[in-house]
Amino acid sequence: MSRRILYARPRDLDEASQLVGALDTGTMLVAGGQELMPHINYGRLAPSVLVDISGIGELAGISIDADEVSIGALTVHADLNSDRTVRRRLPLLAEAAAQVGGGRQVRNRGTIGGNIVAMHPLYDIVPTLLALDAFVETCDADGVRRIRLAELIQTPGHGLGATAILSRVIVAPQSESGGWAYEKLKISDGAYGTANAAALVTLDNSERINAIKVVIGAVAELPLDASNLVQASIGEAWNERTAEFVERTCAEAVTEPLSDEQGEAAYRRAMAGVVARRAVAAAQRRARA
Amino acid sequence: MTIDLDEILEDTVLLQCRVNGRRTEAEILPATSLLDFLRNEQRMTGTHMGCMSGHCGACTVLIEGRTAKACVTLAASVQRKDIVTIEGVGGSDGALSPVQQAFWDETGFQCGYCAPGMVLTVVEMLNENSAPTDAEIRRAIAGNLCRCTGYQSVVRAARAAAAVKRELGDG
Repeated sequence: MSRRILYARPRDLDEASQLVGALDTGTMLVAGGQELMPHINYGRLAPSVLVDISGIGELAGISIDADEVSIGALTVHADLNSDRTVRRRLPLLAEAAAQVGGGRQVRNRGTIGGNIVAMHPLYDIVPTLLALDAFVETCDADGVRRIRLAELIQTPGHGLGATAILSRVIVAPQSESGGWAYEKLKISDGAYGTANAAALVTLDNSERINAIKVVIGAVAELPLDASNLVQASIGEAWNERTAEFVERTCAEAVTEPLSDEQGEAAYRRAMAGVVARRAVAAAQRRARA
Repeated sequence: MTIDLDEILEDTVLLQCRVNGRRTEAEILPATSLLDFLRNEQRMTGTHMGCMSGHCGACTVLIEGRTAKACVTLAASVQRKDIVTIEGVGGSDGALSPVQQAFWDETGFQCGYCAPGMVLTVVEMLNENSAPTDAEIRRAIAGNLCRCTGYQSVVRAARAAAAVKRELGDG
Protein backbone atom coordinates (compact mmCIF):
# COMPACT_ATOMS: atom_id res chain seq x y z
CA MET A 1 0.00 0.00 0.00
CA SER A 2 2.95 2.27 0.51
CA ARG A 3 3.78 2.39 -3.17
CA ARG A 4 2.55 5.53 -4.83
CA ILE A 5 -0.53 5.06 -6.98
CA LEU A 6 -1.53 7.77 -9.42
CA TYR A 7 -5.07 8.52 -10.52
CA ALA A 8 -6.71 9.88 -13.66
CA ARG A 9 -10.33 10.46 -14.54
CA PRO A 10 -10.42 11.02 -18.31
CA ARG A 11 -13.29 13.12 -19.68
CA ASP A 12 -14.08 11.00 -22.72
CA LEU A 13 -13.15 7.80 -24.51
CA ASP A 14 -10.64 9.52 -26.76
CA GLU A 15 -8.76 10.99 -23.82
CA ALA A 16 -8.94 7.64 -22.00
CA SER A 17 -7.47 5.69 -24.92
CA GLN A 18 -4.72 8.28 -25.51
CA LEU A 19 -3.90 8.10 -21.84
CA VAL A 20 -3.82 4.30 -21.62
CA GLY A 21 -1.70 4.21 -24.78
CA ALA A 22 0.82 6.66 -23.32
CA LEU A 23 1.19 4.95 -19.93
CA ASP A 24 3.38 2.02 -18.96
CA THR A 25 2.14 -1.37 -17.97
CA GLY A 26 0.80 -1.37 -14.45
CA THR A 27 -2.02 0.92 -15.51
CA MET A 28 -5.40 -0.47 -14.54
CA LEU A 29 -8.87 0.61 -15.55
CA VAL A 30 -11.53 0.85 -12.88
CA ALA A 31 -15.28 1.31 -13.31
CA GLY A 32 -17.54 -0.48 -10.81
CA GLY A 33 -14.58 -1.73 -8.80
CA GLN A 34 -16.13 -5.11 -8.01
CA GLU A 35 -13.32 -7.08 -9.63
CA LEU A 36 -10.34 -4.82 -9.03
CA MET A 37 -10.91 -3.54 -5.50
CA PRO A 38 -10.61 -6.90 -3.68
CA HIS A 39 -7.24 -7.39 -5.38
CA ILE A 40 -6.11 -3.91 -4.34
CA ASN A 41 -7.42 -4.34 -0.78
CA TYR A 42 -5.50 -7.58 -0.38
CA GLY A 43 -2.33 -6.30 -2.08
CA ARG A 44 -2.57 -8.88 -4.86
CA LEU A 45 -2.49 -6.15 -7.49
CA ALA A 46 -0.58 -2.92 -7.15
CA PRO A 47 -1.41 -0.63 -10.06
CA SER A 48 0.93 2.23 -10.84
CA VAL A 49 -1.96 4.25 -12.26
CA LEU A 50 -5.70 3.89 -11.74
CA VAL A 51 -7.66 5.14 -14.72
CA ASP A 52 -11.21 5.76 -13.57
CA ILE A 53 -13.50 5.31 -16.58
CA SER A 54 -16.72 5.36 -14.56
CA GLY A 55 -17.68 8.84 -15.75
CA ILE A 56 -17.27 8.36 -19.51
CA GLY A 57 -20.58 8.91 -21.27
CA GLU A 58 -19.68 6.96 -24.43
CA LEU A 59 -19.34 3.81 -22.32
CA ALA A 60 -22.84 4.13 -20.87
CA GLY A 61 -26.37 3.48 -22.07
CA ILE A 62 -28.23 0.90 -24.13
CA SER A 63 -29.47 1.60 -27.63
CA ILE A 64 -31.08 -0.40 -30.39
CA ASP A 65 -31.28 0.02 -34.14
CA ALA A 66 -32.68 -2.27 -36.81
CA ASP A 67 -30.53 -5.29 -36.24
CA GLU A 68 -28.43 -4.80 -33.13
CA VAL A 69 -28.50 -3.85 -29.50
CA SER A 70 -25.52 -1.78 -28.34
CA ILE A 71 -24.77 -2.01 -24.62
CA GLY A 72 -22.30 0.38 -23.00
CA ALA A 73 -19.49 -1.36 -21.08
CA LEU A 74 -20.46 0.54 -17.91
CA THR A 75 -23.98 -0.94 -17.85
CA VAL A 76 -24.45 -2.60 -14.46
CA HIS A 77 -26.09 -6.01 -14.08
CA ALA A 78 -29.17 -4.60 -12.32
CA ASP A 79 -29.81 -2.24 -15.26
CA LEU A 80 -29.14 -5.00 -17.77
CA ASN A 81 -31.86 -6.98 -16.04
CA SER A 82 -34.40 -4.14 -15.81
CA ASP A 83 -33.81 -2.39 -19.14
CA ARG A 84 -36.89 -2.68 -21.39
CA THR A 85 -34.90 -3.22 -24.59
CA VAL A 86 -32.75 -5.95 -23.08
CA ARG A 87 -35.72 -7.69 -21.46
CA ARG A 88 -37.65 -7.71 -24.73
CA ARG A 89 -34.91 -8.31 -27.29
CA LEU A 90 -32.29 -10.20 -25.25
CA PRO A 91 -34.22 -11.96 -22.46
CA LEU A 92 -31.43 -14.54 -22.09
CA LEU A 93 -28.96 -11.79 -21.19
CA ALA A 94 -31.44 -10.11 -18.83
CA GLU A 95 -31.88 -13.43 -17.01
CA ALA A 96 -28.13 -14.14 -16.78
CA ALA A 97 -27.57 -10.64 -15.34
CA ALA A 98 -30.13 -11.38 -12.61
CA GLN A 99 -28.20 -14.53 -11.69
CA VAL A 100 -24.88 -12.76 -11.08
CA GLY A 101 -23.78 -13.69 -7.54
CA GLY A 102 -22.62 -11.56 -4.65
CA GLY A 103 -26.03 -10.05 -3.99
CA ARG A 104 -27.90 -7.01 -5.25
CA GLN A 105 -25.06 -4.73 -4.15
CA VAL A 106 -22.76 -6.38 -6.66
CA ARG A 107 -25.41 -6.28 -9.39
CA ASN A 108 -25.80 -2.54 -8.68
CA ARG A 109 -22.09 -1.85 -9.22
CA GLY A 110 -20.64 -4.63 -11.36
CA THR A 111 -20.55 -3.80 -15.07
CA ILE A 112 -20.95 -5.93 -18.19
CA GLY A 113 -17.52 -4.76 -19.38
CA GLY A 114 -15.85 -5.66 -16.10
CA ASN A 115 -17.55 -9.05 -16.05
CA ILE A 116 -16.10 -9.82 -19.48
CA VAL A 117 -12.54 -8.57 -18.99
CA ALA A 118 -12.29 -10.22 -15.56
CA MET A 119 -12.19 -13.54 -17.46
CA HIS A 120 -13.28 -15.28 -14.27
CA PRO A 121 -14.24 -18.87 -15.10
CA LEU A 122 -17.21 -18.81 -12.69
CA TYR A 123 -18.89 -15.64 -14.01
CA ASP A 124 -22.21 -15.57 -15.84
CA ILE A 125 -22.10 -13.07 -18.65
CA VAL A 126 -19.57 -14.52 -21.09
CA PRO A 127 -21.25 -17.93 -21.62
CA THR A 128 -24.49 -16.08 -22.34
CA LEU A 129 -22.87 -13.63 -24.74
CA LEU A 130 -21.16 -16.49 -26.56
CA ALA A 131 -24.51 -18.23 -27.01
CA LEU A 132 -25.83 -14.94 -28.42
CA ASP A 133 -22.82 -14.67 -30.76
CA ALA A 134 -21.98 -11.22 -29.40
CA PHE A 135 -19.37 -8.77 -30.61
CA VAL A 136 -17.44 -6.24 -28.58
CA GLU A 137 -16.18 -2.83 -29.59
CA THR A 138 -12.78 -1.88 -28.30
CA CYS A 139 -11.05 1.44 -28.50
CA ASP A 140 -7.36 2.31 -28.47
CA ALA A 141 -5.29 5.24 -29.70
CA ASP A 142 -5.84 4.06 -33.31
CA GLY A 143 -9.60 4.08 -33.01
CA VAL A 144 -12.52 1.72 -32.55
CA ARG A 145 -12.67 -1.84 -33.80
CA ARG A 146 -15.25 -4.56 -33.55
CA ILE A 147 -14.32 -8.15 -32.67
CA ARG A 148 -16.35 -11.31 -32.25
CA LEU A 149 -16.31 -12.08 -28.51
CA ALA A 150 -15.47 -15.72 -29.20
CA GLU A 151 -12.22 -14.57 -30.85
CA LEU A 152 -11.28 -12.43 -27.89
CA ILE A 153 -11.42 -15.18 -25.30
CA GLN A 154 -9.37 -17.99 -26.76
CA THR A 155 -6.99 -17.97 -23.80
CA PRO A 156 -7.55 -17.39 -20.06
CA GLY A 157 -6.28 -13.80 -20.37
CA HIS A 158 -8.66 -11.59 -22.35
CA GLY A 159 -7.25 -10.79 -25.78
CA LEU A 160 -7.68 -7.04 -25.54
CA GLY A 161 -4.04 -6.17 -25.00
CA ALA A 162 -2.77 -3.58 -22.55
CA THR A 163 -3.87 -0.47 -24.43
CA ALA A 164 -7.44 -1.16 -25.57
CA ILE A 165 -10.61 -0.29 -23.69
CA LEU A 166 -13.69 -2.45 -24.10
CA SER A 167 -16.30 0.19 -24.91
CA ARG A 168 -19.52 -1.55 -25.99
CA VAL A 169 -21.09 -4.97 -26.36
CA ILE A 170 -23.03 -5.53 -29.58
CA VAL A 171 -25.67 -8.24 -29.80
CA ALA A 172 -28.26 -9.09 -32.45
CA PRO A 173 -31.75 -9.46 -30.91
CA GLN A 174 -32.89 -13.00 -30.17
CA SER A 175 -35.31 -14.65 -32.56
CA GLU A 176 -38.91 -13.83 -31.55
CA SER A 177 -40.06 -17.41 -31.89
CA GLY A 178 -36.93 -19.02 -30.43
CA GLY A 179 -36.68 -20.27 -26.87
CA TRP A 180 -33.92 -19.41 -24.41
CA ALA A 181 -32.79 -20.34 -20.93
CA TYR A 182 -29.98 -19.72 -18.49
CA GLU A 183 -29.47 -22.43 -15.88
CA LYS A 184 -27.10 -21.88 -13.00
CA LEU A 185 -26.39 -24.41 -10.31
CA LYS A 186 -25.27 -22.77 -7.07
CA ILE A 187 -25.35 -23.63 -3.40
CA SER A 188 -26.95 -20.33 -2.36
CA ASP A 189 -28.28 -17.26 -4.10
CA GLY A 190 -25.18 -15.20 -3.42
CA ALA A 191 -22.69 -17.95 -4.26
CA TYR A 192 -20.51 -18.58 -7.27
CA GLY A 193 -21.90 -21.04 -9.77
CA THR A 194 -20.94 -24.70 -9.73
CA ALA A 195 -21.98 -24.99 -13.37
CA ASN A 196 -24.01 -22.83 -15.73
CA ALA A 197 -25.43 -23.15 -19.21
CA ALA A 198 -26.99 -20.75 -21.69
CA ALA A 199 -29.20 -22.27 -24.38
CA LEU A 200 -31.11 -21.08 -27.45
CA VAL A 201 -33.47 -23.38 -29.34
CA THR A 202 -35.76 -22.93 -32.32
CA LEU A 203 -38.38 -25.50 -33.33
CA ASP A 204 -39.76 -26.40 -36.75
CA ASN A 205 -43.46 -26.74 -37.65
CA SER A 206 -43.67 -30.22 -36.20
CA GLU A 207 -42.03 -29.11 -32.92
CA ARG A 208 -38.71 -30.73 -33.71
CA ILE A 209 -35.44 -28.99 -32.96
CA ASN A 210 -34.49 -26.74 -35.83
CA ALA A 211 -31.48 -24.97 -34.35
CA ILE A 212 -29.71 -25.33 -31.04
CA LYS A 213 -26.97 -23.45 -29.20
CA VAL A 214 -25.62 -24.34 -25.80
CA VAL A 215 -22.65 -22.81 -24.01
CA ILE A 216 -21.45 -24.18 -20.68
CA GLY A 217 -19.68 -22.10 -18.03
CA ALA A 218 -18.10 -22.40 -14.58
CA VAL A 219 -16.81 -25.95 -15.18
CA ALA A 220 -13.55 -25.25 -17.00
CA GLU A 221 -11.09 -22.40 -17.29
CA LEU A 222 -12.85 -21.12 -20.41
CA PRO A 223 -16.54 -21.31 -21.35
CA LEU A 224 -17.28 -24.21 -23.63
CA ASP A 225 -19.43 -23.75 -26.72
CA ALA A 226 -20.99 -27.20 -27.16
CA SER A 227 -23.35 -26.11 -29.97
CA ASN A 228 -21.52 -28.05 -32.67
CA LEU A 229 -21.44 -31.19 -30.56
CA VAL A 230 -25.22 -31.33 -30.11
CA GLN A 231 -26.17 -30.73 -33.75
CA ALA A 232 -27.29 -34.38 -34.00
CA SER A 233 -30.37 -33.35 -31.99
CA ILE A 234 -31.59 -31.29 -34.96
CA GLY A 235 -34.67 -32.90 -36.47
CA GLU A 236 -35.43 -34.65 -33.17
CA ALA A 237 -38.32 -33.98 -30.81
CA TRP A 238 -37.42 -33.15 -27.23
CA ASN A 239 -37.82 -36.40 -25.33
CA GLU A 240 -35.88 -38.47 -22.83
CA ARG A 241 -33.54 -39.79 -25.51
CA THR A 242 -32.68 -36.30 -26.83
CA ALA A 243 -32.28 -34.98 -23.31
CA GLU A 244 -29.88 -37.80 -22.41
CA PHE A 245 -27.92 -37.18 -25.60
CA VAL A 246 -27.50 -33.49 -24.70
CA GLU A 247 -26.54 -34.27 -21.11
CA ARG A 248 -23.99 -36.95 -22.03
CA THR A 249 -22.48 -34.97 -24.89
CA CYS A 250 -22.06 -31.81 -22.82
CA ALA A 251 -20.55 -33.64 -19.85
CA GLU A 252 -18.10 -35.46 -22.11
CA ALA A 253 -17.15 -32.17 -23.75
CA VAL A 254 -15.59 -31.02 -20.46
CA THR A 255 -12.16 -32.58 -20.85
CA GLU A 256 -10.37 -30.46 -18.25
CA PRO A 257 -12.89 -29.75 -15.50
CA LEU A 258 -12.20 -27.28 -12.69
CA SER A 259 -11.82 -28.66 -9.20
CA ASP A 260 -12.31 -26.03 -6.50
CA GLU A 261 -14.57 -24.92 -3.62
CA GLN A 262 -17.54 -25.20 -5.99
CA GLY A 263 -16.99 -28.93 -6.40
CA GLU A 264 -14.46 -31.48 -7.52
CA ALA A 265 -13.71 -32.36 -11.12
CA ALA A 266 -15.94 -35.41 -11.60
CA TYR A 267 -18.90 -33.60 -10.05
CA ARG A 268 -18.38 -30.48 -12.16
CA ARG A 269 -18.24 -32.58 -15.30
CA ALA A 270 -21.47 -34.35 -14.38
CA MET A 271 -23.17 -31.06 -13.50
CA ALA A 272 -22.11 -29.53 -16.83
CA GLY A 273 -24.32 -32.14 -18.45
CA VAL A 274 -27.16 -31.52 -16.01
CA VAL A 275 -27.30 -27.74 -16.45
CA ALA A 276 -27.00 -28.11 -20.24
CA ARG A 277 -29.91 -30.55 -20.29
CA ARG A 278 -32.03 -28.30 -18.05
CA ALA A 279 -31.21 -25.22 -20.13
CA VAL A 280 -32.10 -26.87 -23.44
CA ALA A 281 -35.27 -28.35 -21.90
CA ALA A 282 -36.38 -24.93 -20.65
CA ALA A 283 -35.42 -23.25 -23.94
CA GLN A 284 -37.43 -25.66 -26.07
CA ARG A 285 -40.45 -25.19 -23.77
CA ARG A 286 -40.27 -21.45 -24.45
CA ALA A 287 -39.84 -21.89 -28.21
CA ARG A 288 -42.84 -21.51 -30.51
CA ALA A 289 -43.18 -23.93 -33.38
CA MET B 1 -3.33 14.74 -30.21
CA THR B 2 -0.68 14.31 -27.54
CA ILE B 3 -1.59 14.03 -23.97
CA ASP B 4 0.01 15.90 -21.07
CA LEU B 5 0.52 13.20 -18.45
CA ASP B 6 1.66 15.67 -15.81
CA GLU B 7 -1.58 17.51 -16.15
CA ILE B 8 -3.90 14.53 -16.10
CA LEU B 9 -2.26 12.27 -13.45
CA GLU B 10 -2.93 13.06 -9.82
CA ASP B 11 -1.21 11.96 -6.58
CA THR B 12 -4.33 12.54 -4.54
CA VAL B 13 -7.99 12.99 -5.33
CA LEU B 14 -10.14 15.84 -4.11
CA LEU B 15 -13.34 13.97 -3.33
CA GLN B 16 -16.50 16.00 -3.06
CA CYS B 17 -19.69 14.14 -2.23
CA ARG B 18 -22.69 14.20 0.04
CA VAL B 19 -22.78 11.87 3.04
CA ASN B 20 -26.16 11.57 4.77
CA GLY B 21 -27.23 14.84 3.23
CA ARG B 22 -24.15 16.75 4.34
CA ARG B 23 -21.73 18.09 1.75
CA THR B 24 -18.21 16.86 2.40
CA GLU B 25 -14.83 17.37 0.81
CA ALA B 26 -11.58 15.50 1.43
CA GLU B 27 -8.19 14.93 -0.12
CA ILE B 28 -7.73 11.16 -0.40
CA LEU B 29 -5.19 8.67 -1.76
CA PRO B 30 -6.36 7.27 -5.13
CA ALA B 31 -6.77 3.62 -4.07
CA THR B 32 -8.85 4.45 -0.97
CA SER B 33 -12.02 2.40 -0.72
CA LEU B 34 -15.31 4.10 0.08
CA LEU B 35 -15.31 2.07 3.32
CA ASP B 36 -11.97 3.50 4.47
CA PHE B 37 -13.08 6.98 3.44
CA LEU B 38 -16.21 6.69 5.58
CA ARG B 39 -14.57 5.08 8.59
CA ASN B 40 -11.16 6.77 8.65
CA GLU B 41 -11.74 10.16 7.00
CA GLN B 42 -15.34 10.79 8.00
CA ARG B 43 -15.03 8.97 11.34
CA MET B 44 -18.35 7.27 10.70
CA THR B 45 -17.89 3.75 11.99
CA GLY B 46 -21.44 2.48 11.56
CA THR B 47 -20.43 1.04 8.20
CA HIS B 48 -18.69 -2.16 9.24
CA MET B 49 -15.59 -3.73 7.80
CA GLY B 50 -15.92 -7.46 7.27
CA CYS B 51 -14.13 -9.17 4.44
CA MET B 52 -12.75 -6.36 2.23
CA SER B 53 -13.49 -8.61 -0.75
CA GLY B 54 -17.15 -7.86 -1.49
CA HIS B 55 -18.55 -11.06 -0.04
CA CYS B 56 -20.05 -10.30 3.37
CA GLY B 57 -22.09 -7.12 2.87
CA ALA B 58 -21.36 -5.67 6.34
CA CYS B 59 -20.20 -2.46 4.62
CA THR B 60 -23.37 -1.96 2.56
CA VAL B 61 -24.26 1.69 1.94
CA LEU B 62 -26.55 3.47 -0.53
CA ILE B 63 -25.00 5.35 -3.46
CA GLU B 64 -27.64 7.45 -5.20
CA GLY B 65 -30.24 5.27 -3.49
CA ARG B 66 -28.78 1.96 -4.61
CA THR B 67 -26.97 -0.50 -2.35
CA ALA B 68 -23.24 -0.98 -2.80
CA LYS B 69 -20.50 -2.71 -0.87
CA ALA B 70 -18.29 0.17 0.28
CA CYS B 71 -15.17 -2.01 0.59
CA VAL B 72 -15.14 -2.73 -3.15
CA THR B 73 -16.15 0.75 -4.24
CA LEU B 74 -13.34 3.13 -5.12
CA ALA B 75 -13.99 6.26 -3.09
CA ALA B 76 -12.80 8.46 -5.96
CA SER B 77 -15.58 7.06 -8.14
CA VAL B 78 -18.36 8.47 -5.94
CA GLN B 79 -17.39 12.00 -6.95
CA ARG B 80 -20.44 14.30 -6.50
CA LYS B 81 -22.66 11.36 -5.51
CA ASP B 82 -25.12 11.04 -2.65
CA ILE B 83 -24.11 8.48 -0.02
CA VAL B 84 -26.34 7.19 2.78
CA THR B 85 -24.82 5.17 5.63
CA ILE B 86 -26.52 3.59 8.64
CA GLU B 87 -25.94 6.88 10.49
CA GLY B 88 -28.26 8.56 8.01
CA VAL B 89 -31.12 6.06 8.08
CA GLY B 90 -32.85 7.15 11.29
CA GLY B 91 -34.32 10.53 12.18
CA SER B 92 -32.04 13.43 13.11
CA ASP B 93 -33.43 13.19 16.68
CA GLY B 94 -31.98 9.68 17.00
CA ALA B 95 -35.32 7.98 16.39
CA LEU B 96 -35.12 4.62 14.60
CA SER B 97 -36.48 4.34 11.08
CA PRO B 98 -39.29 1.80 10.51
CA VAL B 99 -36.79 -0.74 9.15
CA GLN B 100 -34.47 -0.28 12.13
CA GLN B 101 -37.41 -0.53 14.53
CA ALA B 102 -38.52 -3.78 12.88
CA PHE B 103 -35.01 -5.24 13.28
CA TRP B 104 -35.11 -4.19 16.95
CA ASP B 105 -38.59 -5.62 17.56
CA GLU B 106 -37.92 -8.93 15.78
CA THR B 107 -34.33 -9.35 17.05
CA GLY B 108 -33.12 -9.19 13.47
CA PHE B 109 -29.54 -9.39 14.69
CA GLN B 110 -27.57 -10.88 17.57
CA CYS B 111 -23.98 -9.65 17.61
CA GLY B 112 -24.93 -6.74 15.37
CA TYR B 113 -21.99 -6.89 13.01
CA CYS B 114 -24.08 -7.48 9.88
CA ALA B 115 -26.98 -5.28 11.03
CA PRO B 116 -26.09 -1.96 9.34
CA GLY B 117 -25.65 -3.69 6.01
CA MET B 118 -28.79 -5.77 6.42
CA VAL B 119 -30.84 -2.66 7.25
CA LEU B 120 -29.65 -0.76 4.17
CA THR B 121 -30.27 -3.76 1.93
CA VAL B 122 -33.81 -4.08 3.27
CA VAL B 123 -34.32 -0.33 2.79
CA GLU B 124 -33.48 -0.68 -0.90
CA MET B 125 -35.56 -3.83 -1.32
CA LEU B 126 -38.64 -2.14 0.19
CA ASN B 127 -38.20 0.89 -2.04
CA GLU B 128 -38.59 -1.46 -5.00
CA ASN B 129 -41.12 -3.88 -3.56
CA SER B 130 -43.21 -3.13 -0.49
CA ALA B 131 -44.87 -6.57 -0.46
CA PRO B 132 -42.00 -9.04 -0.79
CA THR B 133 -42.50 -12.78 -0.36
CA ASP B 134 -40.13 -14.64 1.96
CA ALA B 135 -38.34 -15.97 -1.10
CA GLU B 136 -37.88 -12.42 -2.41
CA ILE B 137 -36.57 -11.30 0.98
CA ARG B 138 -34.07 -14.17 1.06
CA ARG B 139 -32.93 -13.35 -2.45
CA ALA B 140 -32.61 -9.65 -1.56
CA ILE B 141 -30.31 -10.36 1.40
CA ALA B 142 -28.19 -12.92 -0.47
CA GLY B 143 -25.26 -10.50 -0.49
CA ASN B 144 -25.33 -10.00 3.29
CA LEU B 145 -23.84 -12.71 5.48
CA CYS B 146 -24.97 -13.24 9.07
CA ARG B 147 -23.19 -15.76 11.26
CA CYS B 148 -25.57 -15.55 14.26
CA THR B 149 -29.24 -15.62 13.41
CA GLY B 150 -29.53 -18.28 10.74
CA TYR B 151 -31.42 -15.50 8.88
CA GLN B 152 -34.85 -16.48 10.28
CA SER B 153 -35.18 -13.36 12.41
CA VAL B 154 -33.74 -11.20 9.63
CA VAL B 155 -36.47 -12.42 7.30
CA ARG B 156 -39.07 -11.79 10.04
CA ALA B 157 -37.73 -8.27 10.54
CA ALA B 158 -37.86 -7.55 6.81
CA ARG B 159 -41.42 -8.88 6.67
CA ALA B 160 -42.43 -6.69 9.62
CA ALA B 161 -40.74 -3.66 8.08
CA ALA B 162 -42.65 -4.26 4.84
CA ALA B 163 -45.95 -4.37 6.75
CA VAL B 164 -45.17 -1.07 8.50
CA LYS B 165 -44.13 0.52 5.26
CA ARG B 166 -47.36 -0.55 3.55
CA GLU B 167 -49.38 0.81 6.47
CA LEU B 168 -47.57 4.13 6.35
CA GLY B 169 -47.95 4.20 2.57
CA ASP B 170 -51.69 3.46 2.80
CA GLY B 171 -52.36 5.79 5.69
